[in-house]
Amino acid sequence: MRHHTLPVSPATVHWGYFSKAVAPALTLRSGDRATIETLTHHAGDDYERMIAGDPGAESIFRWTREHKAVARRGAGPTEGPFRRGSGEGIGVHLLTGPVAVEEAEPGDVLEVRILDVRPRPSRHASHAGRCFGSNAAASWGFHYHDLIEEPKPREVVTIFELDTSDEPCARAVYNYVWTPQTDPDGVVHPTIDYPGVPVDHRSVRRRENILRNVKVPARLHFGTMGLAPAEADFVSSIPPGYTGGNIDDWRIGKGARMYYPVAVAGGYFSVGDPHAAQGDSELGGTAIEASLTGEFEFVLHKRRALGGTPLEGLTHPLLETDQQWSVYGFTFPNYLAALGPNAQIEVAQHASLDKAMRDAFRKLRRFLMTVHRLSEDEAIALMSVAADFGVTQVVDANWGVHGSIRKSVFT
Amino acid sequence: MTSWSFTTESYPDHRRLEAWRDALGKLSIEAPDAAGARDVFATAQAMESPLGIVFAQIASGPQRLSYSDDPGIIWLALHCEGQAVLREAGRSSPIAVGDLVYGTAGAPAELLFATSFRQLLVRVPRAAIGARLVAPPAPRVGRLSGRSGLGRVFAQLLASIADTIDTLDADAIRPIEVAVAEFLSVSLAGDRDVGTLMGATATQTATLNRICQKIEARLGDPDLALASVAEQEGVSMRYLQKLFEAAGSSFGEHVRQRRLERCRLDLMNPLYARDSITTICFRWGFNDAAGFSRAFSERFGEPPRRYRRKIAGTISEGVRLQLARGWPLGLDGRAKAPRPLAPAAQADASRGLLARVASGAAARAAGDGRWHHLPATDKTVHWGYFSRSLRPVLHVESGDIVTIETLTQHAYDDHERMIKGDPGAESVFHWTRQRKNIDRRGAGPIDASIYGRGAGEGFGVHICTGPIAIKDAMPGDLIEVRILDLHPRPCANESFAGRTFGSNAAAWWGFHYKELLTEPRPREVVTIYEIGRALDGEIARAVYSFRWTPQTDPFGVVHSTIDYPGVPVDHATIDKQFGVLKEVEIPVRPHFGVIGLAPREIEIVDSIPPTSSGGNIDNWRAGKGARLYLPVAVPGGLLSVGDPHASQGDSELCGTAIECSLTGDFQLILHRRQELAGTKLEDVNYPLLETADEWVVQGFSHANYLAELGERAQSEVYDKSSLDLAMKDAFRKARRFLMTAERLSEDEAISLLSVAVDFGVTQVVDGNWGVHGVIRKRLFADGRR
Repeated sequence: MRHHTLPVSPATVHWGYFSKAVAPALTLRSGDRATIETLTHHAGDDYERMIAGDPGAESIFRWTREHKAVARRGAGPTEGPFRRGSGEGIGVHLLTGPVAVEEAEPGDVLEVRILDVRPRPSRHASHAGRCFGSNAAASWGFHYHDLIEEPKPREVVTIFELDTSDEPCARAVYNYVWTPQTDPDGVVHPTIDYPGVPVDHRSVRRRENILRNVKVPARLHFGTMGLAPAEADFVSSIPPGYTGGNIDDWRIGKGARMYYPVAVAGGYFSVGDPHAAQGDSELGGTAIEASLTGEFEFVLHKRRALGGTPLEGLTHPLLETDQQWSVYGFTFPNYLAALGPNAQIEVAQHASLDKAMRDAFRKLRRFLMTVHRLSEDEAIALMSVAADFGVTQVVDANWGVHGSIRKSVFT
Repeated sequence: MTSWSFTTESYPDHRRLEAWRDALGKLSIEAPDAAGARDVFATAQAMESPLGIVFAQIASGPQRLSYSDDPGIIWLALHCEGQAVLREAGRSSPIAVGDLVYGTAGAPAELLFATSFRQLLVRVPRAAIGARLVAPPAPRVGRLSGRSGLGRVFAQLLASIADTIDTLDADAIRPIEVAVAEFLSVSLAGDRDVGTLMGATATQTATLNRICQKIEARLGDPDLALASVAEQEGVSMRYLQKLFEAAGSSFGEHVRQRRLERCRLDLMNPLYARDSITTICFRWGFNDAAGFSRAFSERFGEPPRRYRRKIAGTISEGVRLQLARGWPLGLDGRAKAPRPLAPAAQADASRGLLARVASGAAARAAGDGRWHHLPATDKTVHWGYFSRSLRPVLHVESGDIVTIETLTQHAYDDHERMIKGDPGAESVFHWTRQRKNIDRRGAGPIDASIYGRGAGEGFGVHICTGPIAIKDAMPGDLIEVRILDLHPRPCANESFAGRTFGSNAAAWWGFHYKELLTEPRPREVVTIYEIGRALDGEIARAVYSFRWTPQTDPFGVVHSTIDYPGVPVDHATIDKQFGVLKEVEIPVRPHFGVIGLAPREIEIVDSIPPTSSGGNIDNWRAGKGARLYLPVAVPGGLLSVGDPHASQGDSELCGTAIECSLTGDFQLILHRRQELAGTKLEDVNYPLLETADEWVVQGFSHANYLAELGERAQSEVYDKSSLDLAMKDAFRKARRFLMTAERLSEDEAISLLSVAVDFGVTQVVDGNWGVHGVIRKRLFADGRR
């Protein structure tokens, strides 16, 4: 077992997409461990608290008229003229990786164990050692066209501080309504339509004393984690799919084991979209987006060794924790295959919990029948009386419903 | 209309190919060389219209598909996406997106897909385009370009069908199938390769087909005549007559037959159900109703009026086969509203006996309030409905405590274990040829005139104990129902004395029912559980299961599915499987599925769909220690409790929980509207659940379906089930709760909803589907104390 370290730098991140075409930032073997840093793509919402003085974060968010350290952000076009910027923000998450796993081949399953997760403290003199995160109630949120107060519509950014002194929890520091921001290349962003745009704090009005007396229990986790899909070279990081990605389940934190089907040689694992807390549904569009560092262990399960194990025939991401198993249903289990060439854009137009529920039902039935060797009738009876279905997210274009079954059910 | 859907996602990798081939087989398509392929991804969604036209959308990866159908079918494929090549009779030609490929009379063809593809396949029985084609099509495979002309219009019509296939219902499909038949006959008629008629050249046949299409467009014109058609086509009348003669007909006869056929289609069409027969025959160019009637009888063997009645009967038979819950669509729930309920005279007379005021220790524990006991007997329950008109079986004051017995409506799945020896249960379930103690079960007609299932038609199934009137409760107030404690009801049969059992039915209204993987399909399965104590708390274990077999009730009605509650299951007809769910122990979550007040809008309300006054919420969090707040809709509130569950998961996927009789101690507290201002309960006009640690707001597809959906609410609620709507409702209620109860601004509320509130699927089986939002109390300072 070797231990690797993967810090964030322009050379070790890719922004807004999964890709089988990006050179690996790290190659390791089954059984190895790695410390991987991740940054939230919302850090520019408060540059002082979340970027300033942090060499890794500064190197990635650096963007002046002359130099944009990470130019491509999203799976969109990289040749101008741009509406929003290179990559066009079709995919927004800052992902660290890819991590290639030696000998991983399509048909295998990669197990990723999260051994530990810790927040990334601010390096700015005024806030040193404290940890911050940002929540954006954004245009892609479930609420956006259904607001009741003026001005309508509006996007609101809330900055949270994570308190780890006692039982970890987050408290709001202040919030502001998004105003049109001009990026260093001169493009105006009337809404949050491109990641990493530095917010000019002279242009926004901070409102203090918000969410007073509210303490949000922390649920440190990675919103986006997965392997490169086979279907396209550049795949938007927003819709989750069969190789994982932006699942946005807060249960994918310390102690969790995720299983992913390998779609391309080497697997190409990337992780990002770190969250300090999120509720089931991620209603407003984002969680408390806060940079985190994780300890990971990678175990490759070769196809030939899968027979008779819980991973046999696995074609979708699967979560195991100490207490439960969860499967992830999506509006489209594999939107890339189901929707054809325009899938990455079109998927958002079909968003539906009803279909996600159906997919979650089918996957959990399969899990109970293959892994626990139940008959179909047993599986269906058990799902009705003991499995819980919840709304994972309604904001990532390919909506999610998870189905969970407690391990304690099986004696 | 029947429909099915398929996806490889239901199967583990190694079984997918076989499953996909089975699905294709239903559409007469073969996938010859996909042997051993892995990672097969494929979906199919199909439906069959009343005329027998099958629409199927299929999508999958690169492969070769082979089409050959029986001679009575014309198949037609719209290529929606991907790269494809058509191979037939040794030739290959590329197919563009939007092109149509068709095959008639069983002609074989192959499509080669080099990429992922999507296709809409339409299979049309020859009979559906009937007499429109004068000459039968020859066996051939053809292609229609989707880029111009009629082909383009047709392709676009089909493309929009492909896009909406999962949302089309029977009403919507009727005009579409007529249009498809029409397009198809026109397209085939324009085809030069049609078969030739006896004694006519191919050109003559094609001319005749073309002229017939022109006639088709003018059938409604009462002045349609040979002379005008001949003139329009630039041929002589004599030539036209000869063409028809060659086809064994005449101009006049052809027009008459086509008009009769049009009238027949309109008579079948539910959209025209209100049009008189005269209106319909005039629409198609007849000018004499009596003459039409004679001609119709001659052609179709019965007069139009009788024909129409017969078809309507077949359609309602179709409704019956569809197993709809509630009032069937198209039947106005109010127009056929059941007779008003007779006052519950017996219940009233014996009220004093039924609801004893408890004394001693129990009463003291209740503090100031009195303690009542409400047993479950045939005098204290109502079955399958809520009603503002029911005479209360108990009157209480705010603060009183009531021990309420509830019975599961599934107890007759195993009489020995759940009814026998228990006087209360026996009195409720008593049903012999001579006597059915509780006749009405459900909100349907008492004479069972819709389906014939039984009195009340099973439109609503839950045995509800109550109603209980709360003194001074008025619309606008809230009633707080505190569940102080609950216990399973022990078995009274000596053989199982003291033990407790429940039943779970994977029923036809379950989320899984239409897509079972294994045979026989479909099926309903009942699993009997025993509830017991294990080291770490109460658990449930399966005892045995059985497949539902047709059960004949004591009145002689056969129930081939679980379509009426309380039907005695004859254990001689079933095959018990022991040893199911071995080594599975389910930690129990005892709770009441139904806790509700009487709605105001309608007199007798189906107990299945939950609504703003509560009812069948089916949230397992409504257990010991929980408090449920319900808005009062009618004076006295009229609280009923039932549908007891030993355990249920979020979603209640297969249709039921572990249905198990329970007895609960409830404290009922009235919150007058004027006292609510400034409290967390201000503005609560929906069922709100409070547990020790959480607030649970309950969203439904329709917050108050009776008010929202109007007169057809009791049928439409089952037709408009959606988690998307329920999620919206849960979001709005949770936002409101945070803004009023916790005094947050909208921006604060939305941020908190995203980062700290969990939304889950309550149920997808009760018509009005549910999503709940769980707000942890410890988020707030006053909840951490």
